[in-house]
Amino acid sequence: MSQAPNPAGAHRRGPLFWLSAAAGWAVIGYGLRGLLHHHVDTRPSNLATFFAGGALIHDLIVAPLLIGVGVVIGRYVPGRVRAVVQAALIVSGGLALFSYPLVRGYAHRLHNPSSLPHNYTANLVLVLAIVWTFAAAILVIRLRRREG
Amino acid sequence: MTRLRAFTTDADQPLRQHAYQSPLRDERLAAILGVALGVLFAICFVTGLYSHLHQHPLSWLPMPARPAGLFRVTQGLHVAAGIASLPVLLAKLWLIWPRFVSMPVVKRVSHLVERLGLLPLVAGSIFMVFSGVANIAQWYPWRFAFPAAHYWIAWVTMGALISHLGAKWVITRQALRRPGRRPALAEADPFIGTSAEVPHPGLSRRGFLGTVTATAGVLTLSTVGQTFRPLRRLALLAPRDPDVGPQGRPVNRSAANAGVVDAASSPNYRFRVVGRVERQLTFTADELGALAGHEATLPLACVEGWSYSARWRGVRVRDLLRMAGAPSGVECRVESLEANGPYRVSSLDADQAHDIDTLLATHLDGQQLDADHGYPLRLIGPGRPGVNQTKWVTKLVVV
Repeated sequence: MSQAPNPAGAHRRGPLFWLSAAAGWAVIGYGLRGLLHHHVDTRPSNLATFFAGGALIHDLIVAPLLIGVGVVIGRYVPGRVRAVVQAALIVSGGLALFSYPLVRGYAHRLHNPSSLPHNYTANLVLVLAIVWTFAAAILVIRLRRREG
Repeated sequence: MTRLRAFTTDADQPLRQHAYQSPLRDERLAAILGVALGVLFAICFVTGLYSHLHQHPLSWLPMPARPAGLFRVTQGLHVAAGIASLPVLLAKLWLIWPRFVSMPVVKRVSHLVERLGLLPLVAGSIFMVFSGVANIAQWYPWRFAFPAAHYWIAWVTMGALISHLGAKWVITRQALRRPGRRPALAEADPFIGTSAEVPHPGLSRRGFLGTVTATAGVLTLSTVGQTFRPLRRLALLAPRDPDVGPQGRPVNRSAANAGVVDAASSPNYRFRVVGRVERQLTFTADELGALAGHEATLPLACVEGWSYSARWRGVRVRDLLRMAGAPSGVECRVESLEANGPYRVSSLDADQAHDIDTLLATHLDGQQLDADHGYPLRLIGPGRPGVNQTKWVTKLVVV
């Protein structure tokens, strides 16, 4: 694909861009000043590890992994069922990610019985079963419709 | 290098989906997800600020005691919107990810400013959602104090969002104005990009958007019952059940964790009213129980997004103030038996201290308070965050 020339004015940045950039960076500065000022609570070096670490883990591991999964699905899952499988996997992934600290039960070390009162492994399996049953039902309806 | 270029996009052109092979990478979809995320983050920021101001009150900005259930609603929204933003954030990041590797890295000053702003935006967004989700599950893999870190990084993230809003305002409006189904203009006009969706197997853009919405919806339905009672039975993945705990009510900090088991059950326990008073008052636990004559139905709403409403019985703070001969319109400080901890002390402004339902309670739902609920005495007032409903109260200081 040849590189098309940019349309006239596409690179021009108006006052909205510069005003919001100035206001935005001022607010960022306020936040940074606050977290440095309250360093006893915010532990800037530990916070920086989590701040940068989250972005790096996402950009270098999670995102490429998801794209890889997408490629694998595109190659091996038949077109007729692909959309439903993709949708069910996305819902399942979101649920699993949210449930991770619940399933691991980190809160139990506080010995507070009202914290994490359920069996989250069983509950996650139950919710995932509902999601995949629903997905299977949609798939059956879609395939029938296509045949009929 | 050419292969890398083929894989990446020109940051100033509409997303070129062909370059990285997903028909879902479309600027309209990116705009819709961006707007959704902006709305969710705005809800989180405003409600979070409200909670922060309750916990760190400003002298010139009294926090309202009424309506009594306001904090329950705002904090329930805060946590629910934060949970719902998890799939939206991941979808948005997935959609625009190829831009992280776009070449050349920097073209102009404005381009540099925009890209620099993406660091606090992406890192901040991920941090806010991750730390919030971990915190409600009481998972603390970090060494910082969660409230302070979550609060200050919220400002960093919002600042980056303001900057991003200005940079993307025009392109977002254009993308949203365009109708959903577009003619295949890609070949005729490369500036528009291949943004018309050609038939393809797999999820359509609409299907992808629906799936992200469904993920947020399932997460909401399976958690929001921890504060929204009608959906309690669906709350399979909620970290709390409003009906499970000592006396059938959850607590966040047990007497054992607070290190007050002995002091709270000791016969030497005394409750004192001190400070700017005409006469200091001292009560034993039994005397407090005998004095407790006022009942109020008030919610207990935790900052972690769970809540319950219960019937409390106790002594009104304003009655204690009158008994001690405190000047009218004073503010108070309530102190716990806890030796330390960030929530050992809480403050009542004049409005809250004199509210008809602000109690130092001895009973919950007709029973004497369990040790974990703050026996012998706990503060319960309308419209306050749970962390400010101090337990194991030993002192009321008039200031």
